[in-house]
Amino acid sequence: MKKKVLLMGASGSGKTSMRSLIFSNNPASLTSRLGATIDVEQNHVRFLGDLILNLWDCGGQDSFMDSYLSTQRSTIFQHVGVMIYVFEVESRDMPKDLTYYRDCLDALRKYSSDASVFLLVHKMDLVKGDKGTQLERKRRDLQAESGDVEVTVFGTSIYDESLYKAWSRIVHTIIPNAAVLTKHLTTFAEACSATEVILFERTTFLVIATSSPPAPPASSQRALANGAATPGSSSTVVTAPTSPVEDVHKLNATRYERTSELIKALKHSCSRVREEFYALEMELPEFTAVLDEMTKNTYVLIVVHDPTIETAALKINIRTARQKFEELQNDSISA
Amino acid sequence: MQHSNGTKSPTIDVQRTKILLLGQRRSGKTSIQQVLFNDVSPKQTFYLEPTTRIVKDTYDTVIPLEIWDCPGNVTLDTLGASLSDFSSIIFVIDIQDSYQQPVARMLDFFIAAYQESPDICLEVLVHKAEAFTDDYKIENFRHIQQRVIDELLDISQDYEQMPLNFHLTSVYDHSIHEAFSRVLHKLIDSLPYLEDLLNVFCANSQSSKAFLFDVKSRLYVATDASPVDTGTHNLCCDYVKTLNAFGPLYKSSSSSAARLLRDSRSSSPSSGPSFYPSAAVTLAPSTQGTTLTYHSITPQLALLALMHTAVFEEQRGLLEYNVVFFREGVQEISQVEKDARMGSLVV
Repeated sequence: MKKKVLLMGASGSGKTSMRSLIFSNNPASLTSRLGATIDVEQNHVRFLGDLILNLWDCGGQDSFMDSYLSTQRSTIFQHVGVMIYVFEVESRDMPKDLTYYRDCLDALRKYSSDASVFLLVHKMDLVKGDKGTQLERKRRDLQAESGDVEVTVFGTSIYDESLYKAWSRIVHTIIPNAAVLTKHLTTFAEACSATEVILFERTTFLVIATSSPPAPPASSQRALANGAATPGSSSTVVTAPTSPVEDVHKLNATRYERTSELIKALKHSCSRVREEFYALEMELPEFTAVLDEMTKNTYVLIVVHDPTIETAALKINIRTARQKFEELQNDSISA
Repeated sequence: MQHSNGTKSPTIDVQRTKILLLGQRRSGKTSIQQVLFNDVSPKQTFYLEPTTRIVKDTYDTVIPLEIWDCPGNVTLDTLGASLSDFSSIIFVIDIQDSYQQPVARMLDFFIAAYQESPDICLEVLVHKAEAFTDDYKIENFRHIQQRVIDELLDISQDYEQMPLNFHLTSVYDHSIHEAFSRVLHKLIDSLPYLEDLLNVFCANSQSSKAFLFDVKSRLYVATDASPVDTGTHNLCCDYVKTLNAFGPLYKSSSSSAARLLRDSRSSSPSSGPSFYPSAAVTLAPSTQGTTLTYHSITPQLALLALMHTAVFEEQRGLLEYNVVFFREGVQEISQVEKDARMGSLVV
């Protein structure tokens, strides 16, 4: 199954940089070496085995944009699954960016009406002062600009984990049946006495699905406290919607994207000594965790807080669960 | 800025090993100190304010350190201490700077120190190496090295024996960690014993390389006798960094504290915690590859060892058994060191 992903935005807004970071494992420091994208660079990224992301990195210079919107209009905007439009947070010419954005949106609505739209307010690292309010203002502006089209706005930067958060959300919408994966991960978490189980895509280490929090130990009056603990930011949570559950652990809200970032960095360190990262197990003061291969193209992270659980037990559980998840993944993709 | 680094006892009554950090203004002295001991990211060092007075920073690793970060214009008179108080003098030279002034100033300091105490460690950090390409920076490094030695001999032939050590460093890669580790090694009196322990550990655990790392600063305080490969060192450094970052990420407000409680209950209060964090990263291929293990030794130190994955999986019990003895050894050495430093003050 193929999904077409359009990556658009003004010239120099950082489209190719983020692509190189997420899909080619390059560190942020090397993005300055990238040249301008001429016309459209098409990439096929194998994501979860049979799911192929057909990534259209569209060069953002005006002449290219004009041609996308006129002569190439039908080629570009047909069969689009996701459009990602990148805005620089401190753009030199926002009105022009917005004009192009509106035109793209019109074209998208005409040719692929069911495509989802993600807007990335990029280069957030350049913002001085309060990033939160700046992003909120941009979000309001962009939502107003999009009219009745449903859009999701993220503030991103290649220098921190925010990029992983945005992309994890994006790929989450592409994966069919992500809810089924969540359900099985939850069962798996129970089997491991785990606090949380997270499934990552192998090459990008983007979060595909997570287990939902364990069933509440039936104390309804404290469940209210959870409302304040879950929203990491104003965007919704990656996991499938569950009934409000008491969160006794109050884990760090940015943990998923930070994990992606950390593992990517470690993978990069390994590659510098011509080694390849394979697996990680940790018994830290705060928790026990195993990160291991789940299926051919996914990794799983099991986080346990119970001190009596050994890493070896978790590893055996992973081994026995592999077959099931392999089947599940094939089902969910061919479905 | 103050460091407590886990030790709750007042740090004043310990005799600290003093390190003097010198250099021209804007050469990167404070950056080095902040990146190594204060977890400041290299990019953030750009925003550091100039140091206007001498800042004394303490840091506790296998030995207690006191690092004197000096403003660029400090002189022998304004230093307010005798050079013989210091175990090591580090002079930072910006690789892009004109060398004449800094080299002359450095030699003034070094000669004065050498005359007071000939055993003092004199270290030259040729810093901000990231500014040049690989070939060019090594050429510059050699050039500075030659220049310093030439000028030294011009002053007097007697200084031929002066033990100068040169390091090419940058805060943007691991070179500063490696260089400072080497600086640190010369200050650790118990180093030979730690190295012996590591050698024995490596031989008995079939490990090809082992490091004893200071976890917070990511400096290695000792390693076994096999040569240090920069790539392996860098990987170990990054690995410790990753583990440091992982800890708080999944910290549970309700359950994490209980993990430690369980362990302290099982042991007598005097013997300290019996839970020692550990980790292992396996490199591909999954069975014939390498595994990098991590075992906490003391609250400050961790043992990192490299071994074949097959060995790790089949002889894990033996490995952990060896770690227990290694840990006891290191803890004993640290205790002796501690007692000696407390004792020497009483005398």
